[in-house]
Amino acid sequence: MTAEQAPLAVVRRGGSRLPVVVVATILGLLVVGQLRGQAGVPGLSGLTATELTQLIANLTAGNDQFRREVADLDQQESKLAEARDRGASTVDELQNDLSRIRAWAGLTAVTGQGIAITVQGPIGGDGIEELLNELRNAGAEAIAVAGVRVVAGVVVAGAPGDLSIENAPLGDSFEIRAIGSPQILTGTLTRTGGVIAQVGATYPDARLVVSPVETMTLAATDRDLGPTDASPRL
Amino acid sequence: MTTIVGRLRGLPSVQVTLAAALLVLGFLVAAQIAGEGPRIRYSTEERSPLIETALGLQAQQEALKAQIVDLRERIGQLEAQGPGAAESLKRLYADLEDARVAAGLIAVSGKGLAFRLEDGNQAGGLDALVTARDVRTLVQELWLAGADGIAVNGERVVGSTAILDIGGSILVNSAYLAGPFEVRAIGPADLYDRLQASVAFVQFVQRRIEPSGLRLSVAQPDKVDLPAFAGTVNLRYARPVATTAP
Repeated sequence: MTAEQAPLAVVRRGGSRLPVVVVATILGLLVVGQLRGQAGVPGLSGLTATELTQLIANLTAGNDQFRREVADLDQQESKLAEARDRGASTVDELQNDLSRIRAWAGLTAVTGQGIAITVQGPIGGDGIEELLNELRNAGAEAIAVAGVRVVAGVVVAGAPGDLSIENAPLGDSFEIRAIGSPQILTGTLTRTGGVIAQVGATYPDARLVVSPVETMTLAATDRDLGPTDASPRL
Repeated sequence: MTTIVGRLRGLPSVQVTLAAALLVLGFLVAAQIAGEGPRIRYSTEERSPLIETALGLQAQQEALKAQIVDLRERIGQLEAQGPGAAESLKRLYADLEDARVAAGLIAVSGKGLAFRLEDGNQAGGLDALVTARDVRTLVQELWLAGADGIAVNGERVVGSTAILDIGGSILVNSAYLAGPFEVRAIGPADLYDRLQASVAFVQFVQRRIEPSGLRLSVAQPDKVDLPAFAGTVNLRYARPVATTAP
Protein backbone atom coordinates (compact mmCIF):
# COMPACT_ATOMS: atom_id res chain seq x y z
CA MET A 1 0.00 0.00 0.00
CA THR A 2 1.49 3.30 -1.07
CA ALA A 3 1.24 6.54 0.77
CA GLU A 4 -1.35 7.79 -1.77
CA GLN A 5 -3.54 4.68 -1.45
CA ALA A 6 -3.88 4.71 2.31
CA PRO A 7 -6.45 7.54 2.65
CA LEU A 8 -8.59 5.93 -0.06
CA ALA A 9 -8.71 2.67 1.86
CA VAL A 10 -9.87 4.50 4.95
CA VAL A 11 -12.62 6.22 2.98
CA ARG A 12 -13.72 2.90 1.53
CA ARG A 13 -13.91 1.28 4.95
CA GLY A 14 -15.79 4.30 6.28
CA GLY A 15 -18.10 4.22 3.28
CA SER A 16 -19.13 0.62 3.90
CA ARG A 17 -19.88 1.40 7.57
CA LEU A 18 -21.94 4.48 6.80
CA PRO A 19 -25.16 2.62 5.88
CA VAL A 20 -24.87 0.58 9.09
CA VAL A 21 -24.50 3.75 11.14
CA VAL A 22 -27.50 5.35 9.40
CA VAL A 23 -29.67 2.27 9.85
CA ALA A 24 -28.60 1.89 13.48
CA THR A 25 -29.50 5.54 14.17
CA ILE A 26 -32.95 5.19 12.60
CA LEU A 27 -33.38 1.90 14.43
CA GLY A 28 -32.57 3.55 17.75
CA LEU A 29 -34.97 6.42 17.12
CA LEU A 30 -37.76 4.02 16.20
CA VAL A 31 -37.19 1.85 19.26
CA VAL A 32 -37.40 4.92 21.50
CA GLY A 33 -40.49 6.13 19.66
CA GLN A 34 -42.15 2.77 19.98
CA LEU A 35 -41.41 2.52 23.71
CA ARG A 36 -42.62 6.06 24.36
CA GLY A 37 -45.74 5.47 22.32
CA GLN A 38 -46.64 2.42 24.35
CA ALA A 39 -45.96 4.18 27.63
CA GLY A 40 -48.30 6.99 26.64
CA VAL A 41 -51.47 4.97 27.19
CA PRO A 42 -51.18 3.89 30.80
CA GLY A 43 -53.31 0.86 31.29
CA LEU A 44 -56.05 1.96 28.93
CA SER A 45 -55.19 -0.63 26.31
CA GLY A 46 -56.12 -3.35 28.78
CA LEU A 47 -59.62 -2.03 29.45
CA THR A 48 -62.81 -3.40 27.95
CA ALA A 49 -65.39 -1.10 26.37
CA THR A 50 -67.54 -1.34 29.52
CA GLU A 51 -64.59 -0.48 31.76
CA LEU A 52 -63.69 2.42 29.49
CA THR A 53 -67.25 3.73 29.68
CA GLN A 54 -67.10 3.54 33.46
CA LEU A 55 -63.71 5.24 33.45
CA ILE A 56 -65.06 8.07 31.29
CA ALA A 57 -68.04 8.50 33.61
CA ASN A 58 -65.68 8.64 36.62
CA LEU A 59 -63.31 11.06 34.92
CA THR A 60 -66.20 13.30 33.85
CA ALA A 61 -67.64 13.36 37.38
CA GLY A 62 -64.18 13.94 38.84
CA ASN A 63 -63.44 16.77 36.42
CA ASP A 64 -66.78 18.41 37.30
CA GLN A 65 -65.72 18.34 40.95
CA PHE A 66 -62.34 19.83 40.05
CA ARG A 67 -64.08 22.60 38.08
CA ARG A 68 -66.27 23.43 41.07
CA GLU A 69 -63.16 23.56 43.25
CA VAL A 70 -61.44 25.86 40.74
CA ALA A 71 -64.52 28.13 40.68
CA ASP A 72 -64.62 28.27 44.50
CA LEU A 73 -60.91 29.02 44.71
CA ASP A 74 -61.20 31.67 41.98
CA GLN A 75 -63.94 33.35 43.97
CA GLN A 76 -61.91 33.13 47.17
CA GLU A 77 -58.88 34.63 45.47
CA SER A 78 -60.95 37.51 44.06
CA LYS A 79 -62.45 38.29 47.48
CA LEU A 80 -59.02 38.29 49.09
CA ALA A 81 -57.57 40.51 46.37
CA GLU A 82 -60.48 42.96 46.69
CA ALA A 83 -60.14 43.05 50.45
CA ARG A 84 -56.41 43.66 50.17
CA ASP A 85 -57.00 46.51 47.72
CA ARG A 86 -59.57 48.06 50.05
CA GLY A 87 -57.24 47.60 52.98
CA ALA A 88 -59.88 45.51 54.69
CA SER A 89 -59.52 42.13 56.36
CA THR A 90 -61.48 39.01 55.43
CA VAL A 91 -61.69 37.39 58.82
CA ASP A 92 -64.94 35.58 58.09
CA GLU A 93 -63.61 34.23 54.82
CA LEU A 94 -60.42 33.01 56.49
CA GLN A 95 -62.29 31.43 59.37
CA ASN A 96 -64.63 29.58 57.01
CA ASP A 97 -61.67 28.32 55.03
CA LEU A 98 -59.88 27.23 58.18
CA SER A 99 -62.95 25.47 59.51
CA ARG A 100 -63.50 23.63 56.21
CA ILE A 101 -59.88 22.47 55.87
CA ARG A 102 -59.64 21.37 59.51
CA ALA A 103 -62.88 19.40 59.22
CA TRP A 104 -61.76 17.77 55.97
CA ALA A 105 -58.39 16.80 57.47
CA GLY A 106 -60.01 15.36 60.60
CA LEU A 107 -58.71 18.04 62.95
CA THR A 108 -62.20 18.98 64.14
CA ALA A 109 -65.29 16.97 64.94
CA VAL A 110 -67.90 16.72 62.20
CA THR A 111 -71.57 15.81 62.10
CA GLY A 112 -73.86 14.54 59.36
CA GLN A 113 -75.72 11.57 57.92
CA GLY A 114 -74.01 8.36 56.90
CA ILE A 115 -73.75 4.69 57.70
CA ALA A 116 -72.59 2.38 60.46
CA ILE A 117 -70.96 -0.98 59.84
CA THR A 118 -71.11 -3.36 62.75
CA VAL A 119 -68.19 -5.77 62.69
CA GLN A 120 -68.36 -8.98 64.70
CA GLY A 121 -66.13 -12.03 64.71
CA PRO A 122 -62.61 -12.74 63.53
CA ILE A 123 -61.36 -10.45 60.79
CA GLY A 124 -57.84 -9.26 59.86
CA GLY A 125 -56.61 -5.70 59.54
CA ASP A 126 -56.46 -6.12 55.77
CA GLY A 127 -60.20 -6.81 55.71
CA ILE A 128 -60.97 -3.64 57.65
CA GLU A 129 -58.60 -1.63 55.45
CA GLU A 130 -60.45 -2.98 52.38
CA LEU A 131 -63.68 -1.63 53.86
CA LEU A 132 -62.13 1.76 54.65
CA ASN A 133 -60.66 1.98 51.16
CA GLU A 134 -64.06 1.30 49.61
CA LEU A 135 -65.72 3.85 51.90
CA ARG A 136 -63.24 6.50 50.72
CA ASN A 137 -63.86 5.49 47.13
CA ALA A 138 -67.62 5.86 47.67
CA GLY A 139 -67.14 9.42 48.88
CA ALA A 140 -67.12 9.09 52.67
CA GLU A 141 -66.13 12.50 54.03
CA ALA A 142 -65.19 11.36 57.52
CA ILE A 143 -64.64 7.89 58.97
CA ALA A 144 -64.15 6.58 62.49
CA VAL A 145 -63.34 3.08 63.70
CA ALA A 146 -64.47 2.36 67.26
CA GLY A 147 -64.63 6.11 67.84
CA VAL A 148 -61.12 6.78 66.49
CA ARG A 149 -61.15 9.20 63.57
CA VAL A 150 -59.41 7.75 60.54
CA VAL A 151 -57.05 10.35 59.07
CA ALA A 152 -53.86 10.18 57.00
CA GLY A 153 -51.49 7.78 58.74
CA VAL A 154 -54.10 5.87 60.74
CA VAL A 155 -54.14 2.16 59.91
CA VAL A 156 -56.16 -0.73 61.31
CA ALA A 157 -53.67 -3.57 61.61
CA GLY A 158 -53.26 -7.01 63.10
CA ALA A 159 -54.34 -10.59 62.73
CA PRO A 160 -57.93 -11.73 63.39
CA GLY A 161 -58.61 -11.39 67.10
CA ASP A 162 -55.67 -9.05 67.53
CA LEU A 163 -56.76 -5.91 65.71
CA SER A 164 -55.66 -2.48 66.80
CA ILE A 165 -55.96 1.12 65.77
CA GLU A 166 -53.58 3.82 66.99
CA ASN A 167 -52.08 1.27 69.41
CA ALA A 168 -55.49 0.66 70.99
CA PRO A 169 -56.85 -2.88 70.72
CA LEU A 170 -60.18 -3.39 68.98
CA GLY A 171 -62.47 -5.90 70.61
CA ASP A 172 -64.35 -8.75 68.95
CA SER A 173 -67.13 -6.39 68.08
CA PHE A 174 -66.84 -2.74 67.03
CA GLU A 175 -68.40 -0.21 64.73
CA ILE A 176 -67.12 1.69 61.71
CA ARG A 177 -68.98 4.95 61.10
CA ALA A 178 -68.78 7.05 57.97
CA ILE A 179 -70.36 10.36 57.01
CA GLY A 180 -71.55 10.61 53.42
CA SER A 181 -74.52 9.71 51.28
CA PRO A 182 -76.12 6.68 53.01
CA GLN A 183 -77.50 5.42 49.70
CA ILE A 184 -74.20 5.62 47.84
CA LEU A 185 -72.15 4.23 50.72
CA THR A 186 -74.54 1.33 51.35
CA GLY A 187 -74.95 0.59 47.64
CA THR A 188 -71.20 0.55 46.99
CA LEU A 189 -70.39 -1.68 49.95
CA THR A 190 -73.22 -4.18 49.58
CA ARG A 191 -73.46 -4.58 45.80
CA THR A 192 -73.08 -8.07 44.41
CA GLY A 193 -69.40 -8.95 44.40
CA GLY A 194 -68.69 -5.77 46.37
CA VAL A 195 -66.29 -5.34 49.23
CA ILE A 196 -68.61 -6.80 51.88
CA ALA A 197 -68.96 -9.96 49.80
CA GLN A 198 -65.21 -10.11 49.16
CA VAL A 199 -64.27 -9.59 52.79
CA GLY A 200 -66.96 -12.11 53.78
CA ALA A 201 -65.37 -14.67 51.48
CA THR A 202 -61.93 -14.12 53.01
CA TYR A 203 -63.24 -14.05 56.58
CA PRO A 204 -66.33 -16.29 56.53
CA ASP A 205 -66.77 -16.18 60.32
CA ALA A 206 -66.90 -12.38 60.43
CA ARG A 207 -70.30 -10.70 60.39
CA LEU A 208 -70.64 -7.27 58.79
CA VAL A 209 -73.93 -5.39 59.00
CA VAL A 210 -74.41 -2.07 57.23
CA SER A 211 -77.13 0.31 58.35
CA PRO A 212 -77.93 3.95 57.50
CA VAL A 213 -77.64 6.55 60.23
CA GLU A 214 -79.59 9.82 60.07
CA THR A 215 -77.14 11.84 62.03
CA MET A 216 -73.88 11.12 63.78
CA THR A 217 -70.92 13.02 65.15
CA LEU A 218 -67.37 11.87 64.62
CA ALA A 219 -64.73 13.17 67.00
CA ALA A 220 -61.58 14.97 65.87
CA THR A 221 -58.38 13.00 65.64
CA ASP A 222 -56.01 12.89 68.61
CA ARG A 223 -53.11 12.58 66.23
CA ASP A 224 -50.82 15.51 65.60
CA LEU A 225 -50.98 15.90 61.83
CA GLY A 226 -48.23 18.48 61.69
CA PRO A 227 -45.13 17.10 59.97
CA THR A 228 -42.16 16.19 62.12
CA ASP A 229 -39.75 15.02 59.43
CA ALA A 230 -41.10 16.89 56.41
CA SER A 231 -40.69 20.60 55.69
CA PRO A 232 -43.32 22.53 53.77
CA ARG A 233 -42.13 23.85 50.42
CA LEU A 234 -43.80 27.25 50.80
CA MET B 1 -27.59 -25.98 0.26
CA THR B 2 -23.81 -26.13 0.48
CA THR B 3 -23.64 -23.56 -2.29
CA ILE B 4 -25.99 -21.18 -0.43
CA VAL B 5 -24.05 -21.56 2.80
CA GLY B 6 -20.85 -21.09 0.90
CA ARG B 7 -22.22 -17.95 -0.75
CA LEU B 8 -23.44 -16.61 2.56
CA ARG B 9 -20.05 -17.26 4.10
CA GLY B 10 -18.58 -15.37 1.22
CA LEU B 11 -20.62 -12.28 2.05
CA PRO B 12 -18.81 -9.53 3.98
CA SER B 13 -19.92 -9.37 7.62
CA VAL B 14 -21.00 -5.75 7.12
CA GLN B 15 -23.60 -6.81 4.58
CA VAL B 16 -24.96 -9.48 6.92
CA THR B 17 -25.22 -6.97 9.77
CA LEU B 18 -26.88 -4.47 7.45
CA ALA B 19 -29.39 -7.04 6.24
CA ALA B 20 -30.29 -8.02 9.82
CA ALA B 21 -30.62 -4.39 10.86
CA LEU B 22 -32.82 -3.63 7.85
CA LEU B 23 -35.04 -6.57 8.73
CA VAL B 24 -35.53 -5.27 12.29
CA LEU B 25 -36.02 -1.78 10.88
CA GLY B 26 -38.79 -3.08 8.66
CA PHE B 27 -40.60 -4.63 11.63
CA LEU B 28 -40.23 -1.47 13.68
CA VAL B 29 -41.45 0.81 10.90
CA ALA B 30 -44.50 -1.43 10.47
CA ALA B 31 -45.14 -1.45 14.24
CA GLN B 32 -44.69 2.30 14.44
CA ILE B 33 -47.13 2.96 11.60
CA ALA B 34 -49.64 0.55 13.09
CA GLY B 35 -49.37 2.22 16.48
CA GLU B 36 -49.43 5.78 15.16
CA GLY B 37 -52.30 8.16 14.82
CA PRO B 38 -55.28 8.03 17.05
CA ARG B 39 -53.90 5.47 19.41
CA ILE B 40 -55.33 2.05 19.83
CA ARG B 41 -56.91 1.68 16.46
CA TYR B 42 -55.72 -1.83 17.10
CA SER B 43 -58.92 -2.86 18.72
CA THR B 44 -62.57 -2.66 17.81
CA GLU B 45 -64.06 0.45 16.30
CA GLU B 46 -66.08 1.20 19.45
CA ARG B 47 -63.07 1.21 21.81
CA SER B 48 -60.99 3.64 19.86
CA PRO B 49 -63.11 6.77 20.42
CA LEU B 50 -63.60 5.74 24.05
CA ILE B 51 -59.85 5.65 24.62
CA GLU B 52 -59.44 9.00 22.91
CA THR B 53 -62.17 10.49 25.11
CA ALA B 54 -60.56 9.04 28.24
CA LEU B 55 -57.16 10.41 27.27
CA GLY B 56 -58.69 13.82 26.64
CA LEU B 57 -60.43 13.77 30.02
CA GLN B 58 -57.22 12.72 31.77
CA ALA B 59 -55.40 15.63 30.14
CA GLN B 60 -58.18 17.98 31.30
CA GLN B 61 -57.88 16.58 34.81
CA GLU B 62 -54.13 17.20 34.91
CA ALA B 63 -54.70 20.79 33.83
CA LEU B 64 -57.45 21.32 36.42
CA LYS B 65 -55.27 19.87 39.18
CA ALA B 66 -52.41 22.16 38.24
CA GLN B 67 -54.86 25.07 38.31
CA ILE B 68 -56.07 24.08 41.81
CA VAL B 69 -52.53 23.85 43.21
CA ASP B 70 -51.65 27.20 41.60
CA LEU B 71 -54.78 28.91 42.97
CA ARG B 72 -54.15 27.56 46.48
CA GLU B 73 -50.61 28.90 46.35
CA ARG B 74 -51.82 32.33 45.19
CA ILE B 75 -54.48 32.39 47.92
CA GLY B 76 -51.84 31.54 50.50
CA GLN B 77 -49.68 34.39 49.23
CA LEU B 78 -52.61 36.84 49.31
CA GLU B 79 -53.42 35.83 52.85
CA ALA B 80 -49.83 36.32 53.87
CA GLN B 81 -49.91 39.85 52.40
CA GLY B 82 -53.17 40.63 54.22
CA PRO B 83 -53.50 43.89 56.09
CA GLY B 84 -53.66 42.06 59.37
CA ALA B 85 -51.28 43.70 61.70
CA ALA B 86 -53.54 42.54 64.50
CA GLU B 87 -52.20 39.62 66.46
CA SER B 88 -55.47 37.69 66.12
CA LEU B 89 -55.34 37.93 62.35
CA LYS B 90 -51.72 36.84 62.22
CA ARG B 91 -52.69 33.87 64.34
CA LEU B 92 -55.50 33.06 61.93
CA TYR B 93 -53.12 33.06 58.97
CA ALA B 94 -50.70 30.81 60.83
CA ASP B 95 -53.50 28.40 61.78
CA LEU B 96 -54.65 28.28 58.19
CA GLU B 97 -51.15 27.50 57.00
CA ASP B 98 -50.76 24.78 59.63
CA ALA B 99 -54.10 23.26 58.65
CA ARG B 100 -53.10 23.20 54.98
CA VAL B 101 -49.82 21.49 55.78
CA ALA B 102 -51.59 18.95 58.03
CA ALA B 103 -54.17 18.28 55.33
CA GLY B 104 -51.50 17.62 52.69
CA LEU B 105 -52.48 20.69 50.65
CA ILE B 106 -48.90 21.96 50.61
CA ALA B 107 -45.92 20.24 49.00
CA VAL B 108 -43.31 18.99 51.44
CA SER B 109 -39.68 17.81 51.33
CA GLY B 110 -37.50 15.79 53.62
CA LYS B 111 -35.45 12.67 54.05
CA GLY B 112 -37.12 9.41 53.27
CA LEU B 113 -37.46 6.43 51.00
CA ALA B 114 -38.41 5.81 47.38
CA PHE B 115 -39.82 2.37 46.62
CA ARG B 116 -40.31 1.08 43.11
CA LEU B 117 -42.87 -1.68 42.64
CA GLU B 118 -42.96 -3.36 39.25
CA ASP B 119 -44.73 -6.22 37.54
CA GLY B 120 -42.87 -9.51 37.33
CA ASN B 121 -42.29 -11.52 34.17
CA GLN B 122 -45.28 -12.25 31.95
CA ALA B 123 -44.75 -15.94 32.61
CA GLY B 124 -45.94 -15.29 36.15
CA GLY B 125 -49.46 -14.58 34.88
CA LEU B 126 -51.90 -12.41 36.80
CA ASP B 127 -50.04 -12.99 40.06
CA ALA B 128 -47.05 -11.17 38.61
CA LEU B 129 -49.03 -7.95 38.15
CA VAL B 130 -48.89 -5.20 40.77
CA THR B 131 -52.35 -4.69 42.24
CA ALA B 132 -53.91 -1.83 44.18
CA ARG B 133 -53.73 -4.05 47.23
CA ASP B 134 -49.94 -4.32 46.88
CA VAL B 135 -49.64 -0.54 46.71
CA ARG B 136 -52.03 -0.15 49.66
CA THR B 137 -50.06 -2.66 51.73
CA LEU B 138 -46.83 -0.77 51.10
CA VAL B 139 -48.49 2.55 51.94
CA GLN B 140 -50.01 1.14 55.15
CA GLU B 141 -46.71 -0.37 56.25
CA LEU B 142 -44.99 2.97 55.66
CA TRP B 143 -47.62 4.77 57.77
CA LEU B 144 -47.22 2.20 60.54
CA ALA B 145 -43.43 2.64 60.41
CA GLY B 146 -43.87 6.36 61.07
CA ALA B 147 -43.94 8.01 57.65
CA ASP B 148 -44.82 11.69 57.73
CA GLY B 149 -46.13 11.89 54.19
CA ILE B 150 -46.50 9.56 51.20
CA ALA B 151 -47.08 9.90 47.46
CA VAL B 152 -47.69 7.27 44.79
CA ASN B 153 -46.48 8.23 41.31
CA GLY B 154 -46.84 11.88 42.24
CA GLU B 155 -50.28 11.54 43.86
CA ARG B 156 -50.21 12.64 47.49
CA VAL B 157 -51.82 10.13 49.85
CA VAL B 158 -54.22 11.95 52.19
CA GLY B 159 -57.05 10.91 54.50
CA SER B 160 -59.54 10.62 51.64
CA THR B 161 -57.25 8.70 49.29
CA ALA B 162 -58.62 5.44 47.91
CA ILE B 163 -56.35 3.08 45.94
CA LEU B 164 -58.26 0.80 43.58
CA ASP B 165 -57.73 -1.54 40.64
CA ILE B 166 -59.36 -0.25 37.48
CA GLY B 167 -58.63 -2.57 34.58
CA GLY B 168 -54.91 -2.50 33.93
CA SER B 169 -54.30 0.67 35.90
CA ILE B 170 -54.53 1.73 39.54
CA LEU B 171 -56.71 4.61 40.64
CA VAL B 172 -55.14 6.83 43.31
CA ASN B 173 -57.23 9.85 44.34
CA SER B 174 -58.71 10.54 40.91
CA ALA B 175 -55.64 9.72 38.83
CA TYR B 176 -55.34 6.52 36.80
CA LEU B 177 -51.77 5.36 37.20
CA ALA B 178 -49.78 2.75 35.33
CA GLY B 179 -46.76 0.89 36.61
CA PRO B 180 -44.01 0.92 37.58
CA PHE B 181 -45.29 2.40 40.83
CA GLU B 182 -43.04 4.68 42.79
CA VAL B 183 -44.07 5.05 46.41
CA ARG B 184 -42.20 7.93 48.05
CA ALA B 185 -42.31 8.52 51.76
CA ILE B 186 -40.82 11.12 54.09
CA GLY B 187 -40.10 9.91 57.58
CA PRO B 188 -37.60 9.46 60.37
CA ALA B 189 -34.01 8.52 59.62
CA ASP B 190 -34.67 4.91 60.67
CA LEU B 191 -37.82 4.54 58.58
CA TYR B 192 -36.38 1.63 56.60
CA ASP B 193 -35.16 -0.15 59.74
CA ARG B 194 -38.59 0.20 61.28
CA LEU B 195 -40.16 -1.17 58.12
CA GLN B 196 -37.87 -4.18 58.12
CA ALA B 197 -38.72 -4.83 61.74
CA SER B 198 -42.41 -5.08 60.85
CA VAL B 199 -43.63 -8.67 60.70
CA ALA B 200 -46.38 -7.68 58.29
CA PHE B 201 -43.91 -6.02 55.90
CA VAL B 202 -41.59 -9.03 55.98
CA GLN B 203 -44.57 -11.30 55.29
CA PHE B 204 -45.63 -9.04 52.42
CA VAL B 205 -42.19 -9.46 50.84
CA GLN B 206 -41.90 -13.17 51.54
CA ARG B 207 -45.45 -14.24 50.74
CA ARG B 208 -46.44 -11.84 48.01
CA ILE B 209 -43.47 -10.15 46.34
CA GLU B 210 -40.99 -13.01 46.12
CA PRO B 211 -43.24 -15.93 45.07
CA SER B 212 -45.01 -13.91 42.39
CA GLY B 213 -41.85 -12.46 40.93
CA LEU B 214 -42.89 -8.85 41.56
CA ARG B 215 -39.94 -6.49 41.72
CA LEU B 216 -39.60 -4.25 44.75
CA SER B 217 -36.60 -1.99 45.10
CA VAL B 218 -35.84 0.84 47.47
CA ALA B 219 -33.60 3.89 47.41
CA GLN B 220 -32.76 6.42 50.10
CA PRO B 221 -32.38 9.70 48.24
CA ASP B 222 -30.94 12.75 49.98
CA LYS B 223 -34.24 14.53 49.55
CA VAL B 224 -37.74 13.28 48.86
CA ASP B 225 -40.28 15.73 47.44
CA LEU B 226 -43.99 15.11 47.86
CA PRO B 227 -46.47 17.18 45.86
CA ALA B 228 -49.52 18.89 47.33
CA PHE B 229 -52.86 17.08 47.18
CA ALA B 230 -54.68 18.58 44.21
CA GLY B 231 -58.18 17.25 44.82
CA THR B 232 -61.27 18.84 46.22
CA VAL B 233 -61.59 19.55 49.94
CA ASN B 234 -65.24 20.52 49.93
CA LEU B 235 -67.62 18.76 52.27
CA ARG B 236 -71.20 18.03 51.19
CA TYR B 237 -72.45 15.83 54.01
CA ALA B 238 -70.17 16.58 56.93
CA ARG B 239 -70.47 19.84 58.88
CA PRO B 240 -67.82 20.98 61.30
CA VAL B 241 -68.97 20.94 64.89
CA ALA B 242 -68.54 24.38 66.40
CA THR B 243 -65.87 24.47 69.09
CA THR B 244 -64.65 27.18 71.34
CA ALA B 245 -61.01 26.24 70.98
CA PRO B 246 -59.22 26.47 67.59
